[in-house]
Amino acid sequence: MEQPTASAIIDFAEKLEEDSSNFYENLAEKFAEKKSVFLSFAQESRKNKVLVTRTYRETITDALEACFSFEGLNLNVYAVTANLTKDTEYSEALRMAIELEDKAHKFYSNVAELSKCLLATIPGAFRKVAERRSNRKQILKSLLDQATP
Amino acid sequence: MAVLDEPLKEVLAVKNYIAGEWVESEGEVVDVVNPATCKVIAKVPISTKDEINTAVKAAQEAFPEWRKTPPLARARCLFRLKELFEERFEELSRIQTMEHGKTIDESRGETRRGIENVEVAAGIPSLMMGYNLEDIAAGIDEYLVRQPLGVFGIISPFNFPFMVPLWFAPYAVATGNCIIIKPSSENPISQTKIAEMTEEAGFPLGVWNVVNGGRTVVSGMLEHPDIEGICFVGSTPVAKDVIYRKCGETGKRVVAQAGAKNFLLVMPDANLTSTIAACMTSFYGNTGQRCLSGANLIVVGEGLNEHEYNAFYEKAVNAFVDAACKIRVGYGLDESVQMGPLRDKSKKEKVTGFIEKGIEEGAKLRLDGRNVKLLGDWPHTCFLNPTVFEDVTADMTIGKEEIFGPVASIIRARSLDEAIETIHSNPFGNAASIFTSSGKFAREFQYRVLCGNIGINIGIVAPMAFFPFSGMKDSFFGTLHGQGQEAIRFFTESKVVIQRWF
Repeated sequence: MEQPTASAIIDFAEKLEEDSSNFYENLAEKFAEKKSVFLSFAQESRKNKVLVTRTYRETITDALEACFSFEGLNLNVYAVTANLTKDTEYSEALRMAIELEDKAHKFYSNVAELSKCLLATIPGAFRKVAERRSNRKQILKSLLDQATP
Repeated sequence: MAVLDEPLKEVLAVKNYIAGEWVESEGEVVDVVNPATCKVIAKVPISTKDEINTAVKAAQEAFPEWRKTPPLARARCLFRLKELFEERFEELSRIQTMEHGKTIDESRGETRRGIENVEVAAGIPSLMMGYNLEDIAAGIDEYLVRQPLGVFGIISPFNFPFMVPLWFAPYAVATGNCIIIKPSSENPISQTKIAEMTEEAGFPLGVWNVVNGGRTVVSGMLEHPDIEGICFVGSTPVAKDVIYRKCGETGKRVVAQAGAKNFLLVMPDANLTSTIAACMTSFYGNTGQRCLSGANLIVVGEGLNEHEYNAFYEKAVNAFVDAACKIRVGYGLDESVQMGPLRDKSKKEKVTGFIEKGIEEGAKLRLDGRNVKLLGDWPHTCFLNPTVFEDVTADMTIGKEEIFGPVASIIRARSLDEAIETIHSNPFGNAASIFTSSGKFAREFQYRVLCGNIGINIGIVAPMAFFPFSGMKDSFFGTLHGQGQEAIRFFTESKVVIQRWF
């Protein structure tokens, strides 16, 4: 059974937010008509990274003293490769983004659930990011609906 | 999983930090070795008596100005130091893993615990306040002020190279004293980095000094008439027969935190799943190299008949062994690793010697950590895997002596009374925990057990920075403890003033 350490989870979350941020910056450049939406997502991902890292660093002793590991969490399930090429069309890019948000939302929700025995700030931070990811998914879906004839 | 980037790229030449200068030592130089990779990461000097004397003089010269510095201004230096720690949190943590061997999560936890002490000490304007009472007699008032004493020495062990000096140093300087830290020569890099940051944080020259070395530096501190007190964390023989005795002879204040043999009791009504999880970090966290580590697990049969007790004992022991054998061992900078190496080869040999002794004395070896299995291709020099013995008795060598490694000894006791007697038969009194869902058992345990740190369903009874780090019997020598209000009292003299104006 998978048992990622707290460090491995945070590392994954940091990378997820960095990749997301880069992805949305590229999206903003490629599809200028929705630039402000995608740039706000990129900025939010940077904030997510700060929130998750800070929460972890400030509460790491709780995780350690509770001998905590995220039992059963397989990180591979949440990995997404969202590569934009010059030929990627708008609707295809939105589908990639929705998949990214879906997996990120599931990741943060599951991590929040698994860490709820720790200090409340830990699952709280994960839930907050999960909620932000869920909101983005809704926005992306509506953009896709608008884009699809 | 990939190994995190190592922050130390070259062999670091460690120097002493005296009066705000980085000073080369005249003493012999020894290697600092990363126990996971066996690579030399630094060279540390074994400083001379003259060098410790120079540091004491520098600290003494800095004292009058520093003591006059308003507490709020002293606190601001600590706030800046905290900010620097936060900024370089990851670098500081990875250095601990490199110089000690602990996992990156453990190092980050150590960094956080160190920072917490700086945060608490930054409250010095409130913490250091005295008290007063008007009209103790006709027209006479009385008040108490806390005044700093001068220069203190801090002698720290290898097992928490970043945190342990911070149990004392922030409180010492916050109260207006000056300090000299002697880090363990096995892992002095964290304290070098902290000293660099104290300079940046604005501590005046000579307030915070670091002198590297061994016995000569310790003797120099103990014998120096201008050192007012010593804070020591290390083994019981040194704490008792050297530090405490010598401080008594020379009239110094002393906090001497020493060895341990911590007992964890599992009662029949305990939540076994949570108990075993807590036991894993207790027995194997920091590779068992901490004075709060679990050493002996007593499976207690209170209220059970023999058949029920045997079934409960088997269930508890099997769960413990199953969990212990799943612990992933390797280089602490690999994020998937849960336990790192022992600090050095000699410590591994010492632990191996205890395992051999346990077998020789008739304990049943359920899990043999000498069969080293690692994540990653690292030299086995300092590594052991978790070891579990059962059928241990409190008079066996492994049942009574401090092993300071990843070895668990499981002991039987038919009742809570018998378990408490077993704890009391041991000379140490650092920490003890009970796992139970009964308030009655918990209350009985915390009331009767002669240990300084008591856990109720807690594996590692580590007091937060605003509580003293306690200890009893052969685990502590002194009166006041490190951390929190007790540290403030340790580092200050209580002066009483009675005044009347004619």
